[in-house]
Amino acid sequence: MENNEKQLLKEFAPQIERTGVQGYIWILFLLSVIGLGLYAFIQQVTKGHIVTGMRDNVVWGIYIVNFIFFMGVSYAGALISGTLHLFRTAWRKPVIRMAEFITIISLLIGPCYILLCIGRLDKLHYLVLHGRIQSPITWDVIAISTDIFGCFIFLYLAVLRDLANMRDFEELQLPRWRKKLYKVLALGYTGTEDQKKRLERATNIMATMVIAIAIIVYSVLAWIFSVTLQPGWHSTIFGPYFVIAAVYSGSAVLIISMWFFRKVYHLEQYITKKHFVAVGMIMLVLAAFFGYFTFSDYLTKWYGSEKNDELLIQLLFKEFYWPFIISNYVGVLLPLLVVGIAKFRTITNITLTAVVVIIALWLNRYLIVIPTLQSPYLPIQDSRPEWSIYQSTWVEWSLTAAGVAMFCLLFTLASKFIPIVTVAGNTQEAKPEDVLV
Amino acid sequence: MKKYLYIIISLAVLTILLFPSLTRAEEKKDSSTIQESHLAFSYVCTSNDSVCLTANLYIKKESDPFGLKNATIGFFCKEDNTLVPLGNAVTDQDGNAVLMVVISKLHPGKDGMITYVSRFDGTPKYTSVSESFTAEPAKLRITFNVQDSIRYLNVTGTRKDAKGQEVALTKETVLLYVPRLFSLLKIGEVALDEEGKASFEFPNDIVGDTLGNLKIIAKIEENDKYGFVQGTSNINWGVPKQYYKAEVPSRELWTPIAPLWMIITLIIMLAGVWAHYMYAVWELFMIKVNNKKDNPTI
Repeated sequence: MENNEKQLLKEFAPQIERTGVQGYIWILFLLSVIGLGLYAFIQQVTKGHIVTGMRDNVVWGIYIVNFIFFMGVSYAGALISGTLHLFRTAWRKPVIRMAEFITIISLLIGPCYILLCIGRLDKLHYLVLHGRIQSPITWDVIAISTDIFGCFIFLYLAVLRDLANMRDFEELQLPRWRKKLYKVLALGYTGTEDQKKRLERATNIMATMVIAIAIIVYSVLAWIFSVTLQPGWHSTIFGPYFVIAAVYSGSAVLIISMWFFRKVYHLEQYITKKHFVAVGMIMLVLAAFFGYFTFSDYLTKWYGSEKNDELLIQLLFKEFYWPFIISNYVGVLLPLLVVGIAKFRTITNITLTAVVVIIALWLNRYLIVIPTLQSPYLPIQDSRPEWSIYQSTWVEWSLTAAGVAMFCLLFTLASKFIPIVTVAGNTQEAKPEDVLV
Repeated sequence: MKKYLYIIISLAVLTILLFPSLTRAEEKKDSSTIQESHLAFSYVCTSNDSVCLTANLYIKKESDPFGLKNATIGFFCKEDNTLVPLGNAVTDQDGNAVLMVVISKLHPGKDGMITYVSRFDGTPKYTSVSESFTAEPAKLRITFNVQDSIRYLNVTGTRKDAKGQEVALTKETVLLYVPRLFSLLKIGEVALDEEGKASFEFPNDIVGDTLGNLKIIAKIEENDKYGFVQGTSNINWGVPKQYYKAEVPSRELWTPIAPLWMIITLIIMLAGVWAHYMYAVWELFMIKVNNKKDNPTI
């Protein structure tokens, strides 16, 4: 272990060794939100989907919106961390681990929302026993499970050197079981030339794979919608549109994570304004792409004037007016203004913009799912009028809050297990101040 | 930092307070002693001289209606301000109770109108409720004829006057339907003339069953005077449905066997991805194995 790495570990040791009162309160709060979600889940299992807003016609609600959102955030983490690694981006070290954690944690939470959409969980195994390869749902199951494996391997490769550092850093005051755990997980990595070469080779391969898989898997998720003949869904650009929206939302989540850990762990020295500007620039470029795709999608629908597309656009501009404006106007223009104009480019402004972007992107997924289900090609008939309109319930919101709380909790716990800023090789990189614009 | 601490504490307290309040709200609803019940009453006059009375008994939960099953609904007919029982029916799982009544057993008032009443007497858990409506019995008959190779569907509408005699039902709009898999397909609309008759040129392109059989439904809907009147008849004027047996082995998207290109693509992609995974895992394994061979230089 190099002296600089030892110095870094010494600095990060307090956040790993101890949890303060504030930390416990934070964890308690998250647990109470998760508890509320658990209560809502019990209600749903015992009483059925009647406690949700999902009905015969609008069969999907905010669960599927959360699923798309979390999966998007996950793929964005994979794409960002994989790309930063492959291009050897000089400023990546302080933020890349957060991107890796975002990938894994979102990937664990996202699929849970699909399970909540299933009315008969006792028949879940039928998906495997009677799954048809022709079904996009089966593609999704195969793709997500493949992605989970890949992301875990990539994360493991990425943290291996730091696990070895943690094992070798004797000043760390940790229980014996944790030290043993670091020893086992470090796989006897001692930094020999052969080990370095192998690790580098494997990490490069997996970085390439996670980028490719993230694009494919999120496209598969988009195809679940676009292969169906539904107004608003049957679009050839849905695959790339979903991928862009995913990376866009992921860059916003990364900025918020950077802000949070910078504040909580006092990482001002490592995560500087230039990191925010760098990730903000990524967010700006993605905002432009997202705006372009959104405009292209709606323009062709509007200009084509196909009856059901017209009805859908009317619905979006009437019943869903504000969500539509926030999602497709504010969500696109705000990053362009805040990050694009140097005067507005502060850490607080970029973080607040990221919060707005997350809300906008969540609403974007809501607008993709709900209005379309409310205006199908086959008119809704022989159904209770109130069932043709989706109204989310407290059960769904509680489980949504529980998912967000679980994301925060796992992120917090992960940062307690291994430094949130990459230690290994950190000193070999140029300082962010030297390399950023 | 204190600011964030206050925010977190406030949110935690809010959650803790909200959690039991939600529980209590649920319990309160479940333990309520008596619930208001509602009745939706509808009526259809059919072509076989009978009236189909349907009552839907339901309660409201969070503004959503829930049908009550196994409840007895009494059906009555009003004669000189006294209720004459027509019969009882028990609700099914959706809360529907249906009773067929022969029109000849009913006694219309002087104006030819009959008032029907449906009633649920209530239970210790649910309130009693009753609904009524007044309508004049009417009937629609469907006949078919072919003239100069053109097929015609004829509708005759009749009603009963105060003396119980059948007279023509005039100037009413009759809608014509054919039942399809999910709902009724409207094939036309005719107006009854002074003699209570209307004719409609039957389309040649409606698909029937394998023998071309079709069920035709003629309806007067939501009429202020007659309510719902319906007549049905069967005819083999449909285009016979034909089933084509797919070639074996069939690999269309909707068959149990996936298209070959799909299977090949999936295998290539999965094999490519998992081969790389295996390689990465192999490198990890070799990192562990090579640990003892070289000198540490970390």
